[in-house]
Amino acid sequence: MGHRSLLRSLALVLGTVSLVGSACGPGSTTSEKLAADQTLRFAIIDQPTSLDPAEVDSAVDITFLAEVFTGLYKFTNDLKIVPDGTTKLPDVSQDGKTWTFHLRQDMKFSNGDAITAKDWVYSWTRTLRKNRAYASNLYAISGAQDVANGKSTVVSGLSAPDDYTLVAKLDAPAGYWLSQLAMPTAALVLDQKVIDAAGDDKWTQQAETYIGSGPFKVTGYSAKQYIDFEPVKNWWGGDTGKLTKVHVDFHVDVTAQVQKFEAGGYDIVGMANSPAGPDDVLRYKADPAKSKLLTIYPGARATAVGFNFVNGPFASKPGTKSGDPTNSANGTGDPGLDGRRAFSLAIDRKQLADIACAHAITCQPATGGPIVKGFKGYLGENGDPWAKFDPQQAKQLLEKWDPTGTKRKGLEYRYNPSPSNDKRAQNLQAQWRQNLGVEVKLAPSDFPTLQRDRRAKNVVFGRQSWGIDYDHPQDWFDNLWNCSQAQVGRGNDEAYCNPDMDKLVENANTRSLDQALPDYIKAVKMVVNDVVWMTIDYGTQPYLVQSYVKGAGYNGLYDFSWLGIRMTQH
Amino acid sequence: MGDASEMTRGTLVYIGQRIVLITLTAVVVSSIVFIGVRQLPGTALISERDTNPATLQLLLHHYHLDLPWPQQYLIWITGLVHGDLGESLVNRGVQITPLLVREAQVSVTLGLAAVLITVVVGMGLGTLAAVKQNTWVDYAASTAAVMGYSVPSFVWAFVLILITVGGLYRWTGGMIYEDIGWGKLEQIPVPALALGLPYAAIVARLTRASMLDVIRQDYIRTAWAKGVHARRVVLRHALRNALIPVVSVLGPLVTAIITGSVVIEYLFGIPGLGQEFVTSILDRDYNVVIGVFTFYAALVGVANLIVDLVYPVLDPRIRYG
Repeated sequence: MGHRSLLRSLALVLGTVSLVGSACGPGSTTSEKLAADQTLRFAIIDQPTSLDPAEVDSAVDITFLAEVFTGLYKFTNDLKIVPDGTTKLPDVSQDGKTWTFHLRQDMKFSNGDAITAKDWVYSWTRTLRKNRAYASNLYAISGAQDVANGKSTVVSGLSAPDDYTLVAKLDAPAGYWLSQLAMPTAALVLDQKVIDAAGDDKWTQQAETYIGSGPFKVTGYSAKQYIDFEPVKNWWGGDTGKLTKVHVDFHVDVTAQVQKFEAGGYDIVGMANSPAGPDDVLRYKADPAKSKLLTIYPGARATAVGFNFVNGPFASKPGTKSGDPTNSANGTGDPGLDGRRAFSLAIDRKQLADIACAHAITCQPATGGPIVKGFKGYLGENGDPWAKFDPQQAKQLLEKWDPTGTKRKGLEYRYNPSPSNDKRAQNLQAQWRQNLGVEVKLAPSDFPTLQRDRRAKNVVFGRQSWGIDYDHPQDWFDNLWNCSQAQVGRGNDEAYCNPDMDKLVENANTRSLDQALPDYIKAVKMVVNDVVWMTIDYGTQPYLVQSYVKGAGYNGLYDFSWLGIRMTQH
Repeated sequence: MGDASEMTRGTLVYIGQRIVLITLTAVVVSSIVFIGVRQLPGTALISERDTNPATLQLLLHHYHLDLPWPQQYLIWITGLVHGDLGESLVNRGVQITPLLVREAQVSVTLGLAAVLITVVVGMGLGTLAAVKQNTWVDYAASTAAVMGYSVPSFVWAFVLILITVGGLYRWTGGMIYEDIGWGKLEQIPVPALALGLPYAAIVARLTRASMLDVIRQDYIRTAWAKGVHARRVVLRHALRNALIPVVSVLGPLVTAIITGSVVIEYLFGIPGLGQEFVTSILDRDYNVVIGVFTFYAALVGVANLIVDLVYPVLDPRIRYG
């Protein structure tokens, strides 16, 4: 190679490197050439219930809050907990009851207001005062429940000794609390000045007053129509990634979303819990070219059949007041146990997933207990002995449970209809008929009606489901299966109450997850052996992502942060 | 002169009476819905997660849902008089009146476009079929009309979405395609076509029949005999008279188009009253449901009033007052 040629090659290489380098940011690779338009466009089938972190109620809400607000900690894309509004993980006292958070001193709201420890105290107190769905994430703090119940206006256990230190004193050690704090809901920081000026119930309705401290801010919002975001200029956290705008349409049917995706109008289908329908997923899966745009992520939702422990033929203690213990030693004296086990063993979950979930694409057969595969507390493949398909044993147990044939008469399976729930219910009905000879009537009703009856503990058996909030078994026990939730009106719809299990879980809750996991597993096994839920499938989350979109995805709980998403040339 | 002012006064009185009637109808409809939605099981304030009973009580109190019905009704009717339909139970902080005003504008725009399509396509096709009676044009137009009203709007919507969104995009390499949603002028025609097509077919059938009656009249024969230009005979002499029976069905058709937008808006992702109608009922968002019905009642009333006011323009024998 001659001298001039060498110089020319060197110049070419340097030029290419500088060009590519200028087009790449965090998360992007050197081979990517970014598109001029860095607008991310997608739609959701609903709209956020509330954009107020203190009132957040659904997965849809969480997607947006995670980008606009900041918590003390956050989950990374691979679900590790890292500091967000803090400089490090908290200092926890030896007795586990005092948590000291060291706040970042450079944090600002998007309007430029500085953030100090007082803002955190205000935000958390406000969340507890409102006491909505996720306020319980702060219940661990001493005095939190007094505020939630309206007995106090001050959280006695929460203090700000200086501008950048926040101290929380807990009633008892809480090994799960860091997970709750990392969830982008109740523990986010808000700007009191803005909320007071705009009005406590109005500040979320205008882009100008909807102020957070995250990497994105709202620049346009029309209720039930759309929401626009742009990165915050000079964001205190540093680089806001490559996106220059995010546009989200509300209330767009998933079929229409896929059509618009195919016409290049949307970049992603599946964000904010709005996945494409099974038919479209199957179509994409079957097409070699299209299948490259489809990714099916393991989801965080378990679907089950829940059995009533105080009412009906499956009850462990028929007639017991909801909230009173329903367990008995070793299952003896539980007249419903064999029935619950028979109904579970009679279901071939592979067949069910094949029929109800587009050939097991939109859900997977559940054989490892109620806690979803991939999350802490999962019992492993075939870890649930009553989830195996064994029609022989099922029939034996059925006869043992109901020798006279009276209990199996007039059974009604309750569920809220949807295309997949209908298919599940019909398949369950067919399998119980075929494998047990039991005729179960399907009783669909809309969700509010079903939920009302569940909370009244009137549903004998029916569809149950839970989507994980954060990766910790405490999320399941404290919301679903403990005795306090078994009372009428609370979330334990089966009214299952096992004080031994509660004690085990309460104790596990005080320890770090590493230490406590064996006890949580024991508790999960209690739920499984008592067949509180016969878990039938674990959900999946299909995403359609245009080939030019990089960095988008789902970690089982949340969408990947927008910070890493970028559009390459196309 | 005296006649003209009499007519104007009579028309104004008629319009005034109709506006009073529309207002009364809207109030009666919304009152019935107010009572009806409270019979629905469940509540908008329920969620998958556990709701603290004390918090639920506070929410019920916030929305006055803890009060007896008559008191709730009194509060609601007082709000209505002041143009305040309250706050959404599901989407916290969202005020219903501005929301529904915005959505009504969207639905009215879509409805007007659909009515335009109904009238232009329907009358055009019907006139053409009548003028070219018993030719292939007539057969083709009549077949299209039968197809048009045999297939419901929502099926047309699916077909049009398949063709104009993904289909056109693929066939033209992304040059031309329908951009589902709302906000741009080019997003109006396709949903309006889906909404108006079945009604255009009805109008086409009616226009054809009416035109066939008219073109056999003596005065038309005279016009032909005098050598008047064909376009003038058809458009000026025949069509105007043929329109009277057609206009008489426009009232119910406009109502059908307005209410038909429920499904079309949902499928095309159009943020109008129709979409709100579906989601608010499913969500048990009582306040919004009542508001939507009130708006619909008023819209249908106003649309019918406009149609009624068109009659005298076409047929001078009709007078109000």
